[in-house]
Amino acid sequence: MTGAPKPPALRPGLVPGVLSILAMLLVWTLASQLTDRPQTLPAPWDVAARIMRLAATGELWFNAGMTMFRVIASFALAMAAGMALGLWMGRSRGADQWLNPGLIILLNVPALVVIVLCYIWIGLNETAAVLAVALNKIPVVTVMIREGTRALRPDLDDMARAFRMRPWARLRHVVLPQLAPHVAASARAGISLIWKIVLVVEFLGRSNGVGFKIHLLFSSFDVTGVLAWALAFVAVMLAIDLILLRPWERRANRWRQDAA
Amino acid sequence: MRLELEAKSFGPRQVLGRLALAVARGERLAILGPSGIGKSTLLRILAGLDADYRGRLEGAERLAVVFQEPVLLPWRDAVGNIAIPTGCDAATARDWLAQVGLAGHEAKFPRQLSLGQQRRLALARAFAAGPDILLMDEPFASLDGDTAARMLALTDALLTRSGAGLVLVTHDPAEAAALGARPLHLGGDPARLQKD
Repeated sequence: MTGAPKPPALRPGLVPGVLSILAMLLVWTLASQLTDRPQTLPAPWDVAARIMRLAATGELWFNAGMTMFRVIASFALAMAAGMALGLWMGRSRGADQWLNPGLIILLNVPALVVIVLCYIWIGLNETAAVLAVALNKIPVVTVMIREGTRALRPDLDDMARAFRMRPWARLRHVVLPQLAPHVAASARAGISLIWKIVLVVEFLGRSNGVGFKIHLLFSSFDVTGVLAWALAFVAVMLAIDLILLRPWERRANRWRQDAA
Repeated sequence: MRLELEAKSFGPRQVLGRLALAVARGERLAILGPSGIGKSTLLRILAGLDADYRGRLEGAERLAVVFQEPVLLPWRDAVGNIAIPTGCDAATARDWLAQVGLAGHEAKFPRQLSLGQQRRLALARAFAAGPDILLMDEPFASLDGDTAARMLALTDALLTRSGAGLVLVTHDPAEAAALGARPLHLGGDPARLQKD
């Protein structure tokens, strides 16, 4: 509220964050040296060397790219469907009463069941894979957007109606800005949930992608390979969070800041 | 526009009784009465925001509403707050900002404006909609004396210049007098318009 803006510290929490990662690496190194069983727990530098090799051969980029494509496709589908359903259920009590039981059932069906059923009903193809992941995520987005919709400000609604704002303008300028924190939260929670499920989908029924690679390495008990793939992809997802999601969130929240 | 109201109830409680009200371009009305009597309810019916009543509302005039609170879009700047709801272009919005004395504040967000400035922005938005009749719900409440007086003078000037009609809801007869609005008293239970 009042005057002085916070000093422009470069990145609050940067130092503890880096130190915490270094501490985890140290524990990993100690554990791998003490157990001395590289098949079960390889040293960090072995995993790093494997990541380098995968990156050099191009194998990493192709498979991570396929996984990323599935993540983006199912994420877009889940956000679009979840937002539409959430808005509808938050606005209309009738829709909420009719759709809520289905929503609760879908929330509680195990991800694995949805995946298996999609593969059996649709076939072992890309559509089934993307749909299975999206179906796991849609109910979560729906619930979060529905709660946000219920908290929409009635006075702004009145204003929009009094000025006869068109539905599209109302959605874009009145409703969506109010939902932005809920959309950001569900996107953040969604992206991490989705890439974990994408790996399961690939593990079960695709012939490329990080999940497929882990499937192969699992059959040969290659722990170094499993860790290399997993860590490489975690790094990619973290980069997306830092480079795309956070700046977008900051921009969407610009109006909350008080300038002098 | 004219309203012929038979009854308006919230649940089992009837708030407004039979009453008739007509206002045209250039005409100014003030609806006076103690708080809680149903003045705001009557204004919401006139504005078309409440359709759950018995009676008839006629008229194709363009309306604009100034609410009790400024009711601005916090995530849009001053120009956006005029241009987006009314559909006017940015140049017109700037012009209206200048007319209410907010020149230089075009890029500010509502939170960066004082309450008095926010109310003037809401007034500019209402006039930018080009209304035939302006509906105002206690727009001068919670302003200090000086600011309220300036707001009143500004509203009077803009009404005269644009030729718009006015329905003002207020508890303060002095505001009605300052705007030269014909006072109508709302009283009784259920409330009706009382002659005086």
